Amino acid sequence: MRILVVDDEADLVEALARGLRREGYAVDAAADGDEALDKASFTPYDLVCLDLTMPGIDGLEVCEHLRANPVDGVVPRILMLTARDTVGDRIRGLDAGADDYLVKPFSFDELSARIRSLLRRDAGRSGAVLEVGGLVLDTARHHATCDGATLDLTPKEFALLRYFMSRPELVVSQEELLEHVWDEHVDPFTQTVRVTVGTLRKKLVAVGGAGAIETVVGRGYRLGTGGEAR
Amino acid sequence: MKTGPDEVHPSFLRNILLPAASIRFRLALLHSILLFGIAAVAIGAIYQNVSRVLDDEPMSRRADFTELVDTPILGSSSTTQEDAAGGLQVFEEAVNSRALRQLRTYSVVALAVLFFASLVIGWYVSGLVVRPIGRITAVARRIQGTDLSRRIGLGGPPDEFRELADTFDDMLDRLDAAFEMQRRFIQEASHELRNPLAVLRTNLDVVMDDPGSGPDDFRAASEVALRATSRMSSMVDDLLLYAHHERPDIHHDPIDLASVVTETVADFAAAAGSAGVQLRAEMAERLAVVGDPAALRRGLANLLSNSIRVSDPDSSVLVTAGHDNEKVWISVRDEGPGIDPDDIDRVFQRFWRGDLSSAREHGRSGLGLAIVRQIAEGHGGQATVRSTVGVGSTFTIWLPRYVDR
Repeated sequence: MRILVVDDEADLVEALARGLRREGYAVDAAADGDEALDKASFTPYDLVCLDLTMPGIDGLEVCEHLRANPVDGVVPRILMLTARDTVGDRIRGLDAGADDYLVKPFSFDELSARIRSLLRRDAGRSGAVLEVGGLVLDTARHHATCDGATLDLTPKEFALLRYFMSRPELVVSQEELLEHVWDEHVDPFTQTVRVTVGTLRKKLVAVGGAGAIETVVGRGYRLGTGGEAR
Repeated sequence: MKTGPDEVHPSFLRNILLPAASIRFRLALLHSILLFGIAAVAIGAIYQNVSRVLDDEPMSRRADFTELVDTPILGSSSTTQEDAAGGLQVFEEAVNSRALRQLRTYSVVALAVLFFASLVIGWYVSGLVVRPIGRITAVARRIQGTDLSRRIGLGGPPDEFRELADTFDDMLDRLDAAFEMQRRFIQEASHELRNPLAVLRTNLDVVMDDPGSGPDDFRAASEVALRATSRMSSMVDDLLLYAHHERPDIHHDPIDLASVVTETVADFAAAAGSAGVQLRAEMAERLAVVGDPAALRRGLANLLSNSIRVSDPDSSVLVTAGHDNEKVWISVRDEGPGIDPDDIDRVFQRFWRGDLSSAREHGRSGLGLAIVRQIAEGHGGQATVRSTVGVGSTFTIWLPRYVDR
């Protein structure tokens, strides 16, 4: 899950990016509307945390632009962050296409709960828990189990597993994983996807989940729903 | 309005009428008492006159009356003229006293009827007169707290009550505008404070929540917190300053603006020096204005720190001060980047910042120039700016000149 955080407060963006990365998201940062639109024009973000009042292009314009110009057919979920809290401001924000609205200062836990809830809508789920075969992943508590055994995962491995589990039985390419699980700081020619998939596989094998993630030669990876794969 | 009610109404009347509650009742009673009094005096005078005329000049003593007596119509000629005259006098007196009694009765009845009729009419008429007062009272009573949207809107002819109602409406307009300004100011101020609060809270949240946070993380978060709090405190300082200058103080003492300018420019010598900016001042002597020297110093200081901030090293900032017949001015000219023509109307608005991000980093509140304008306007003057992009800006404070008479 890849998130773009847009705010002209550098200290706020940095803290948000750090917190969200720890939650297992791939996070990019933008300091103003121009940079946000620039980044969003070639990366299909799953969600954009957008400050309403910024110099230059403000949050409402960015929001409208993102709605009107989907990348790869994907319109990101938009969560407005703003110091303005009048009903009129909220209505304008939601009318411009924001999916949710959070007034500053907010608790980071609330922000991350809202992000989870917005991302769940795309996955067509209503709860915070993902289940595929014997795998159970609790996105709120950051806890993953395989056939009841706890998996000890790094944030990146957790994010990778979550992405696979949100697309069971579908072939996921390396590029797609780079776009949605890694952020802008990754070197596109790196082996990091292969390495991380490898360590995740090892951890799954260790608790008896062998073969859950299979390699589809020339196309990418696929998470099986259980049974036949194991 | 030099003639108060005390001179119009005799004080004893006032004392009698005061206990009665409503103006309407007092007006009605006053009307009918006055009318009653006038009518009583008039009727009394008529009565007195009539009775005096009848007493002094009996008909029977008139010369021509004998002719009347001698005529056959009055009956027998056997009675002598004296007899006839004596009889007539008795008869005449009886007639007169009866007529006078009749007149008395009628007068008293007429007066009583007049009194009650005038009470009723007076009650009605004074009701008409005081009705607008009731309407004004009702509106005033319905205005609660800060809801000042109601107006009296009396209408009708331009009389005293209409004037009162219109004055009242004007006052409500001004109060409404003042409340609205206050509300907007509080809203904007709270928005401005929320941003550093969000920085503070999110940083602390993220570091505290992460069990893997080490001393370096806490140190970094503390530095961010320090930045955010210093930003908030300079914001609060400026907000208080702004709120303080919002209500213009009344100044009486003339001061010499030249010394204010000299002192303030001297205060900024060090800041200009460390920024590599050349700070010069040229001014006329004896610039007398009526005002608060501390406030004027603050206004000039805001302009100076603004100009020094936007100036490149090795450029210069020139402070000039002078006067014409009516006005005294202080001008600060810089060779900075200038202001975009689209923004020039907004520079004196509160919370406007040319460069939002860098302003936040440097803890600027966006109130500096708004305070300058407030101070200038509080002294009956104004603040203006002229700017050319790429050449520089000139900010000027205009103040009314004090002329010793």
